[in-house]
Amino acid sequence: MASIPKASKAAAPAYRSSSKRRSGPGLVVDGFREVWGRRRLIRYLVQADMKKKGADTLLGNLWWVIDPLMLMAVYVILVTVITAKPQPDYPLFIFSAILPWKWFTATMGDAVGSVVGQERLIKQLHFPKLVLPVASVFSGVTSFAFGLIPLGALLIFFYSDRISPYLLLIPVIAFVQLVFSLGMATMVSAINVFYRDMGNAIRYLLRLWFYLSPALYSAQQLESLGVKNPTIAVIFNLNPFTILFESYRNVIYNGTPPLWGHLVGLLVISAGICCLATWMFKRVEPAFAKVL
Amino acid sequence: MAIRATTDDLSFDGLPKATPPPVRDEAGDEPSVIEVRDLGIRYSLRLTKKNTLRHTFINMFTKKDGPKDFWALRNVSFDLVHGQSLAVIGPNGAGKSTLLMVLAGILTPSEGEVSVRGQISSLLTLGAGFDQELTGRDNILLAGAFLGLDHREVMERLEPIVEFADLGEFIDAPIKTYSSGMRARLGFSIATSVDPDVLLLDEVLATGDAIFRAKSKARILELVHSAKAIVLVTHDMGWVTEFCNRAMLIERGNVIMQGEPEEVVAVHLEHAEQTKREKLEQIRRYGGVAPKIR
Repeated sequence: MASIPKASKAAAPAYRSSSKRRSGPGLVVDGFREVWGRRRLIRYLVQADMKKKGADTLLGNLWWVIDPLMLMAVYVILVTVITAKPQPDYPLFIFSAILPWKWFTATMGDAVGSVVGQERLIKQLHFPKLVLPVASVFSGVTSFAFGLIPLGALLIFFYSDRISPYLLLIPVIAFVQLVFSLGMATMVSAINVFYRDMGNAIRYLLRLWFYLSPALYSAQQLESLGVKNPTIAVIFNLNPFTILFESYRNVIYNGTPPLWGHLVGLLVISAGICCLATWMFKRVEPAFAKVL
Repeated sequence: MAIRATTDDLSFDGLPKATPPPVRDEAGDEPSVIEVRDLGIRYSLRLTKKNTLRHTFINMFTKKDGPKDFWALRNVSFDLVHGQSLAVIGPNGAGKSTLLMVLAGILTPSEGEVSVRGQISSLLTLGAGFDQELTGRDNILLAGAFLGLDHREVMERLEPIVEFADLGEFIDAPIKTYSSGMRARLGFSIATSVDPDVLLLDEVLATGDAIFRAKSKARILELVHSAKAIVLVTHDMGWVTEFCNRAMLIERGNVIMQGEPEEVVAVHLEHAEQTKREKLEQIRRYGGVAPKIR
C-alpha cells in the first residue's frame, strides 16, 4: 500500500476495515474505547428511553415509585398466606431484595432486545453497536434510583428503628450489581441477534433465578436446606444474587455491614464477565448487519 | 479502454478523463480517498435464515446439501482519488447497494480491505434512527450523536437543519405526529447537513413534495460539487453521464467493467437488452408463462 506523506492534507483514515480481525484483548480495548467515546449518545438514548416509558401511561414516571411497592404487596400477601410465620417486618425484608431484582429484570428485558430493536439503523449506519445494551443498562439505573423513594418512605414511616448509617452503602452494592448487569446485558443482546429464542427464554430463566435466590426467604433458610441437598448448596454458593441480596438486606434490614469480601470477589468476577462479553459482542458485531 | 473480468490490477492511468486524474507514481503523491482491495462480502446462508435454537439443532444432525455461502461481492478493487465520482450500475441484486454498505462501514469485508479517508456521509440514513417519542429537535441531537459528530458541531448545525427542514411548529412536536413527508424532510436535512469528503448516494432522492424535491436536488448538487469523492448507485443513466467521471458495472457480485461512463452505460444497456431478450424468448418457449426467476 502506498505510504501517505506527512505533508499530505488528507486526514487520517476515517474508516478502514479489512477481513483481518483483531485479537481478543484488542477487541476488548476497542469496545471500551467505543463506549467511552460515545457516552453522549448513550446519554441521549437513556433520556429517550425515559421519556418513552413515562409517556404512555396516566401516572407516567410515578409508576417507577409505585411498581416496587405493588410487587412487594403481592409477595407479602402471597407469602403470608402460604407460610404462617414469615420473617419479622416482612415487607421491608422482601423489599430490600425486590428493589434490586426489579432493576435487574427490567435491565435484562430491555437489553435483550436492544440490538435487535435497532435493526433499521444498524443496516443503514456505521456506529458502535455496544452503546445499545450499555444504554439499556443505564436507563435501568434511573428506575432503581426512583425505587429508593418508596424505600425511604417505608423506612421513615414504618420501620424507623431499622434506619442505620449503613444505608449509605447502597450505592456501593448497586455499583457491583451495575458492573455485573453490564456484562450480562451485553452478552444476551448479542445472543438474541442470532437466536431470537433468547428473548422468550430469558423471562423464565429470570423467574427461576429469582426463586432460587434468597429474596422471599432468608439465606440461612436456604443454606440449611443445602446441608441436606447438595444441588441447592451449589446453586446457593454460585449465585451472585446470594451475595447481592444478602448485602442489600444487611444494610437495609439488619443494619449491619454488607458482605465486603464477597462483594469484592463478585466485582472482580463481574469485571471479568464484562471483558468476556465485550470480546464476544465485538467478535460477532460485524455479522449484525447481515443477520438482522 | 479497460474491460476486465478480473480485477487484479486496476490502474486507470492513460484513460481519457473529463477531469484528468492526478498522476500517481509509486510513492503515491496523491493519496486515494477510497481504496478497495480484493473486496469480498460473503453471506452465510445458515445464519441469515431466521434462526431459532430448534433449527440449529436440526442442522447439526442433518447435513443438508446446497450452498452454505453466498458471495454478494467478490474480487472488487478500485481506487478513487480526489475529484472523481464513480457511478455503480448493474441489474437488481448485483451487489451495488452492498458495496455502498461496505464503504459506509456497515458491513465488514469477508475478504480484502477497504479504507476511506475523511468524513463520510451516506444518504442511506434518511430518518433511520428516529425515535418516535422525541421531538424533531431532540431527534436531530440523537441523530448527530449516532453519526458520531461532536456536540459542538451538532449545536452549530441545529438551526440550519431546522431551517432547511422547514417544519414550522412541528420541530418541537414528537416525531410520531409527523406525516411521512415531514419525516423524510427532517431525515434529508440531517443527512445532508454535513459537508462530507466522501458522499455515498443511493437513489433515495425522491422525497417530499415538489418544492422540497427541487430544494433537495439543489442541495445534492451542492454536495456533489463540494465533495472530494462520490460513489453513486443509480438506475438513472442520466445521472451517470451527467455527474460521474467514472463508472463501474457490477453483475452478480463481480465487476464486469470499469471506465468511462458513456462506454460502461453502453455495455450495461446492451446486457440489459440481452437479458430482456432471453427472458422474452423463455416466456415464448414456455407458452406465455413466465418462468420462475431464480
